[in-house]
Amino acid sequence: MEKANNLKFDASTFVKRIKGMLSVDFYRLFHTPLFYIFIAIAAIIPAMIIGTTGMQGSETGALFTNVWQAIAVEKPLYVIENIGQYANMNMVFIFGGIMVSIFIGHDYKSGYVKQLFTTHSKKQDYIISKTLVCAFAMACMCLAYLLATILAGLFVGLSFSVNAGSLICALLGKLFMSLGWASLYVFLNIIFRKRFWISIASSFFFGTGILIIGAAAILGNSAILNIFLYGSSVYACLSSNFVSVLVCLVVSVAWSVIYGFLGTYILNKSDVY
Amino acid sequence: MNAIEIKGLKKSFRGMYALNGLDMTVPIGSIYGFIGENGSGKSTTEKLICGHLVKDAGSIKLFGKDYTDAGVRARVGALIENAGCFAGSSIYTNLKMQTLNLGIKNADEEIMRVLKIVRMEEHKELKFKKCSLGMKQRVGIAMALLGNPALLILDEPINGLDTDGMRIMREILVDISQKYNCTVLISSHILGELEKIATHYGIIRQGKMVQELSAKEMEERARVFVSFKVNNLQDAISLLKKKYANVKEEFGYARVYDEENVDEIVKYLIENNIVPAEIKKNKVGLEEYYIQLMSQKEGE
Repeated sequence: MEKANNLKFDASTFVKRIKGMLSVDFYRLFHTPLFYIFIAIAAIIPAMIIGTTGMQGSETGALFTNVWQAIAVEKPLYVIENIGQYANMNMVFIFGGIMVSIFIGHDYKSGYVKQLFTTHSKKQDYIISKTLVCAFAMACMCLAYLLATILAGLFVGLSFSVNAGSLICALLGKLFMSLGWASLYVFLNIIFRKRFWISIASSFFFGTGILIIGAAAILGNSAILNIFLYGSSVYACLSSNFVSVLVCLVVSVAWSVIYGFLGTYILNKSDVY
Repeated sequence: MNAIEIKGLKKSFRGMYALNGLDMTVPIGSIYGFIGENGSGKSTTEKLICGHLVKDAGSIKLFGKDYTDAGVRARVGALIENAGCFAGSSIYTNLKMQTLNLGIKNADEEIMRVLKIVRMEEHKELKFKKCSLGMKQRVGIAMALLGNPALLILDEPINGLDTDGMRIMREILVDISQKYNCTVLISSHILGELEKIATHYGIIRQGKMVQELSAKEMEERARVFVSFKVNNLQDAISLLKKKYANVKEEFGYARVYDEENVDEIVKYLIENNIVPAEIKKNKVGLEEYYIQLMSQKEGE
């Protein structure tokens, strides 16, 4: 037994803490149905859109002529001209926002967050871990979306012709954007942590990119819009190149750092509940 | 060095002070009973120690270090308001997550160790939402015990428990304190139960510490009294006041404080034609001490 005058307190380094927090969050992600439900949603969306609109005799007519149009638009258009330009992999980021809201909401609803902050976890660890794990989950949703799109395209018989290099750049860009979107949703959920439904609504609102679409409608299609999450997500299109990937990576990392700092500041300066 | 040392702690909610310059000292290895009426600031103090709330002013030290020190915090466990478990997950899964957070090696062994302490090893696969209130409280304590904490903070852990649940909880807490040398800070309204286990007390009122004392000091301060149940209570009190200095009417009894000689008081009453129906010699318990202290403070 440890004697009262001989108590030992080992240093709890950042690496040790973040490792612990990431372990918990990944364990939770894989041991609760939430992640699998949203993977299924990510897969069902393109399958349904391609399936229902691409079948012969469909009343609405084919939304896509080429399977990769379900992944990204041909060129960066921030204001959509038809619903088909909206119905691409960017939708994953909207549903991902709802997943992040539920994931973080459960922490607060169950009171588990108290257990985390009572022990060695710092507020910054919480933000970093949640952002990385949710980014991973959204990247998985993107892959599920891709797989379902290919299968649905094969089933319906859509064209698969594409510039492979541009497609890979577009996919990489979208995957990198998962980090930026995850950081935005974590930040929104930190702000509205005491109001679960508002956090979901705000994630949905910002996830649709409605503000950028509105700005583009006024300003026109300006490259300046790429500095925002929705803008760079649209920029990852079927005419992407190495620069597009780099833009997506830089924008995503930059926003995740900004949102990470802001989220940590808010948590540090306010009560947990 | 003390387990907890708080100086001048202040916390307000919307301009109203919940804590207004609280000082508190919890010795290492003690079971510290934290007492106060509703809204006196007990839970706020505990939440501040746990880092759930942000303080307005003052200092909190745990084992001589600032309370934000991650090394110290790694050895703090708490059960505040609820166990902090995911309802749809099993007890095991919930505990497993906390072992991962704390970076505990041999997680399975550790989980079984804490479940054994709280006598829940048979129920590890049970979903948390299926647990009774008493079981949930015990799971919460098991969660707090992971990683061999040096300090355990428990907010009203015996509230809502039945007699058997209270007994089990009492035994668990004594075990934790004695076998694992863990300092326990426990708040409760059930003073009778607290009295059976606490080694130190802190009495808080309106966000300030009214008194801190050890169980030994409490024992020394506990006044002896002889109480009588009689038909003509007022007559008996008037009579006793003629001979004894500290006579009071309390709880429907005539009480003579600080007098050991029961025979002499009974003889005096009978000689004056007052026959007691009931005679008790007792000491002021924690509950009465608390009530007396509170009424004194109200009078000030």
